[in-house]
Amino acid sequence: MTGTSSDARLITPTMIAAWLVLATVPLWISKVGLYPYIGVEILIWSIYALAFNLVLGVSGLPSFGHGAFFGIGAYAFGLTQFNVAANLWVCLIGATLAGAVAGLLVGLFIAHRRGIYFALLTIAFGQIFWTISVKSHSITGGEDGLLNIVRLPVNLGVVAFDISDNDSLYYFVLAVFAVVTVVLWRLVNSPYGRLLSAIRQSEVRTAHLGYNVWLYKLSIIVISAGFSGFAGGLFAMAQRSAFPDVMNLAQSGLVVMMTLVGGGLVSFWGPVIGVIVFLTARDVIGAMTNAWMLYFGTMFVLLVLFRPDGIAGAFKLLVERWKARGATPSLSSAPRSG
Amino acid sequence: MALVEAEGVHVRFGDRVVLEEINLSVNEGELHGIMGPNGAGKTTFFNTLTGRVKPNRGRIRLNGEDVAGLSPHAIARKGLARSFQIMTLFNDFTAQENVMVALPAYRARGFDVRRAVAGDASFSDEANEVLASVGLAGKAGVSAKLLSYGERRALEIAVALAQRPRVLCLDEPTSGLGTDGTLRLAELIGSLKGKLTIVAVEHDMRFLFSLADRISVIHWGQVVARGTPRELQENAWVKRSNLGSFG
Amino acid sequence: MLIQATIKSSRRVFDLLPHLLNGLVLGLLLALIALGFMLIVGLMEQINLAHGSLFALGAYLALALTGPNPPLPSDLAALWLQVPLGWRYGIALIVAPCLAGIVGIAVEFCMRRTYGSDPLYGLLLTFGVALVLEEVLRLTWGTRDHVLPIPQSMSGGFIFGDLIWSTYRFYAAGMAAIVIGLVWLLIEKTPYGAMIKAGAHDSEMVRALGVNLSKLRLGVFMLGTMLAAFAGIVVAPIWGIRPHMGVDAVVPAFLIIVLGGVGSFWGAVIASLLVGLAVGVSGAYASEWSLLSMYLLLVAVVSFRARGLFGKKSMLEV
Repeated sequence: MTGTSSDARLITPTMIAAWLVLATVPLWISKVGLYPYIGVEILIWSIYALAFNLVLGVSGLPSFGHGAFFGIGAYAFGLTQFNVAANLWVCLIGATLAGAVAGLLVGLFIAHRRGIYFALLTIAFGQIFWTISVKSHSITGGEDGLLNIVRLPVNLGVVAFDISDNDSLYYFVLAVFAVVTVVLWRLVNSPYGRLLSAIRQSEVRTAHLGYNVWLYKLSIIVISAGFSGFAGGLFAMAQRSAFPDVMNLAQSGLVVMMTLVGGGLVSFWGPVIGVIVFLTARDVIGAMTNAWMLYFGTMFVLLVLFRPDGIAGAFKLLVERWKARGATPSLSSAPRSG
Repeated sequence: MALVEAEGVHVRFGDRVVLEEINLSVNEGELHGIMGPNGAGKTTFFNTLTGRVKPNRGRIRLNGEDVAGLSPHAIARKGLARSFQIMTLFNDFTAQENVMVALPAYRARGFDVRRAVAGDASFSDEANEVLASVGLAGKAGVSAKLLSYGERRALEIAVALAQRPRVLCLDEPTSGLGTDGTLRLAELIGSLKGKLTIVAVEHDMRFLFSLADRISVIHWGQVVARGTPRELQENAWVKRSNLGSFG
Repeated sequence: MLIQATIKSSRRVFDLLPHLLNGLVLGLLLALIALGFMLIVGLMEQINLAHGSLFALGAYLALALTGPNPPLPSDLAALWLQVPLGWRYGIALIVAPCLAGIVGIAVEFCMRRTYGSDPLYGLLLTFGVALVLEEVLRLTWGTRDHVLPIPQSMSGGFIFGDLIWSTYRFYAAGMAAIVIGLVWLLIEKTPYGAMIKAGAHDSEMVRALGVNLSKLRLGVFMLGTMLAAFAGIVVAPIWGIRPHMGVDAVVPAFLIIVLGGVGSFWGAVIASLLVGLAVGVSGAYASEWSLLSMYLLLVAVVSFRARGLFGKKSMLEV
């Protein structure tokens, strides 16, 4: 993700605006023809997409198998609930750890690669994890899925909230989303995050500056996988089940497309925009036609060809042009060639 | 004791021998030039020095320590910095951030996820110092891809300087520069002489001859001539072979 | 005791035989897919993830021509259905790849913009194209599995040495072998093939020699697509037809060119046979997991030895 310079703020105005807007969603969502659960889906997939973008947009590593981490987190949440403790925090930690461990395993095989080989290895691992989930009927329920996952209450010691209805679940996930955005925003703007961006721009140069590039790539894969697993755990809880299909290539590809369409390659918020656009389109356009995925896919192809900066990128361009209009004539905003 | 020593370095890619036998030593504080025709192996030699290529045979010593075959980041940490012939700047970063990430102080906080980079004055102050030393004082906030070619060349060197190296390896630093740019670069490098050990690969003979303390000529994968610029200028063989341009 | 042990082990080998043969057949079919893929990678220096969907497209187009619902106006359709299956199948074997080749041309036009830029964009683009193609297939033919009708003479089985063998697999192997042979002839014995080899090795040189590089690329892309489509038709009776079948073709194709190296004809063929055998043999011991062995093999090879058994350094190694 390009930002010509890092941002020192822990919480930005954009964040606050986003949280405030999102906080109001349950109030008007039914009035626009949608339903409260889509809000939950959007938030959970946004966390997933933000985690995913750590690897794609920030570090420049094309992962087409991230669904594996999301899916493993979902299964881990359910399995922890059944076999360890029916405690929300324990299960979420289980989901995160499962994702991170899977990320470590995969990372050990792929962190020294980049580009096409990296992408291909992620596809292979995605297929491996998917196959294992489908075939391990006794553990995962196979194609039938892992069912009867419960929305565990949010127990904060002094007070406990029940989140079995969609509105309460929404506010819980919103709070989680807020925390995650703060954490990831800081990570991306920290020395570690900027170095990942340096690695994306030139691995060779970064290595020659004295940085152990492999370790950086491995660590971000683990972190991204952990957060993806966390999102997967939330997802399992929200839909009360876990299925293998989030791990397949098409679904892993979905998060890639959403992230790019939204502008993840150039903006921190790109993935969130992409998720909102995708899920709303799925429900609105999907209601009208069976071919909506075809339209989305075609739009994706066109964007890759002509506007890989996505929606956020187009927005940034507009803002820049608008700013340039207000500049004094002596300043040229046109880039010099060099 | 020489700061950088190459002994019997032999590099082969498949069945193609690129470096037959390189014996070279660079003393501390020296500016050592490396010349030779295209394809002679100069950049490959640089790559062995900096760890990008592992020599099939031979030793490379940095300050007495054997470094052949170490990874680039390990060698960089031992005090060897390098600039690239084909510029590899961080194009999405500003000039200042390009330099910042090279600073040892930044490297020490490479895994810091808790603090933001932007607010940290210590990084930006030091980076601005380095930028000023290469003449890019006013360009700190400019995105690297918007700088002019000459400015990018200067930035390329600034990034290597920011590492505070003991040995600075410059790979064709005048590449693509016009007379003006080359003069300015010569001034800059001249100002660094004595403070650092510099190894420079170059095609521009006038540039090299005016700055280098000693020059090694690499041809057919070996060092075929070595000496001070004056000695080499007298060397008939060097004069006869078309080893580089005079400007 | 020794005689008994020998009989036992030879019986075990004997049991393995059908799996080995299945593996060989699979290997030949994979070689078809991989060769098309390799030609494109070698010349275009781009990875084409859509190759798998073109493979699937071939199968579906053949289904349209040989199945009960040909896409023709009803009286023509009725006439068409009168033609014996054998003829329709034969025609499909030729027509479907040609049609797929046309689609391939369209894909190549799209890809042109990404030449020379970060390979990531080529990857993302062909991924998107693959998805779009799959959606088209899904919308047209539905998500359920289809079966490709094959002529009576090619179907069924026969008994040989205590085992039942599938007739079709021998035909499939034969067809694959013939086409592989034709590809070899093209590449090694024709001036066109020489241009392809030269272009893969050094595109600048080829351009300087006056060869129209974009026409060459287009031609190669079409050829590669047609090979994939043909492979789809031949594989369909064995694997079944589903919109998603492309992935199981393109991933091994990649594995094979990594194993065999980009630019080596025999490398691709031998690697294909090896992968086919690996899948076939693992099918003997754990049939549920045999496809998985392919992915595991990919991980092992690409992680540790990306240059392959015969290959030269290629653009894939960024």
